[in-house]
Amino acid sequence: MVRGIRRNRSGQMKIQQMTFMLVAVAFLFILVGMFFLSIRLYNLKKTATNLEEKNAMLLVSKLADSPEFSCGNSFGGSKTSCVDFDKILALKYQVDEDDELWGMAKIELRKIYPEKDIECTETNYPNCGIVTILEKDVNTQPAMSNFVSLCRKEADESKIYDKCELARLIVSAEEKNT
Amino acid sequence: MNKIIGKKAQEEMVGFVVIVVVVSVILLVLLGFLLRSPEKSAVENYEVESFILSALQYTSDCENQLEFLSIEDLIVACERKEMCLEEKDSCEILNDTLKDMVKDAWNINKQSAVKGYNLEIKVEGEEKLILKEGNETSNYKGAFQDFAKRGTEYIVYLNVYY
Repeated sequence: MVRGIRRNRSGQMKIQQMTFMLVAVAFLFILVGMFFLSIRLYNLKKTATNLEEKNAMLLVSKLADSPEFSCGNSFGGSKTSCVDFDKILALKYQVDEDDELWGMAKIELRKIYPEKDIECTETNYPNCGIVTILEKDVNTQPAMSNFVSLCRKEADESKIYDKCELARLIVSAEEKNT
Repeated sequence: MNKIIGKKAQEEMVGFVVIVVVVSVILLVLLGFLLRSPEKSAVENYEVESFILSALQYTSDCENQLEFLSIEDLIVACERKEMCLEEKDSCEILNDTLKDMVKDAWNINKQSAVKGYNLEIKVEGEEKLILKEGNETSNYKGAFQDFAKRGTEYIVYLNVYY
């Protein structure tokens, strides 16, 4: 009888050990699986960030190279990321808040060098530094920006020449409600 | 005899538990590090790249018989030791203009995310102009732009530290 109980206890102990082992091994496998999954997830996030970055660059470049903004061949050959100051000032007065411009909620151009913190109007052009082309009264996503050349025709006493300055094109898309 | 076997099994179990716990902790710590979403960088590569491109197109105050020179042309003029109109030194104008331009574009102060920058102009692999400001931290974004004029190769490098 006593021997029977002892054998029973030893069996229970072995079952307990086995159960514990199985649980622990399963836990370990789950953790290892999660670890590899997180590596995949991390790489995916990295790719998404890179794509986002590339998209931002492409978006701003696309905007800068669109016919409404770009210098075209007006400033001696085709220039990359070149914005025509005259064009965007004209555009500023043509665009309403309701207009759909590349799905953007805000488009702004800021002169970086030489820096001038004055909003451009027809009267102070070109001695100004900020052109707000579009500003919708909506929630916007974080702004994306890129450097561009801001070119215009300038005249002194003897000649007309191209004057290009350094500016930043800042755009924000409208925040989508999900 | 039975007790000794039981104790041995218990010791093995404890050892295994310790190993599982240690491995789990290590994996969880690594998991935590990996699952942290990558923060958006203060400076992006494309910004540095587009800065160099736009800076090279900037119209400087150096005037020759035909036009006001762009920074790209000014680099060439400086290398060829050409003078601007009114006997202005092309290298001096290049240095001053680039210095102010980089300073305004990559503002370094305590509130700013940018901690420093390093701009280099190399002609045929030889350093011609270096503009350094702030601290060189381990985080940086850089780009370069090369161009060739009159058979000479020019490269402009810019590293922005944040």
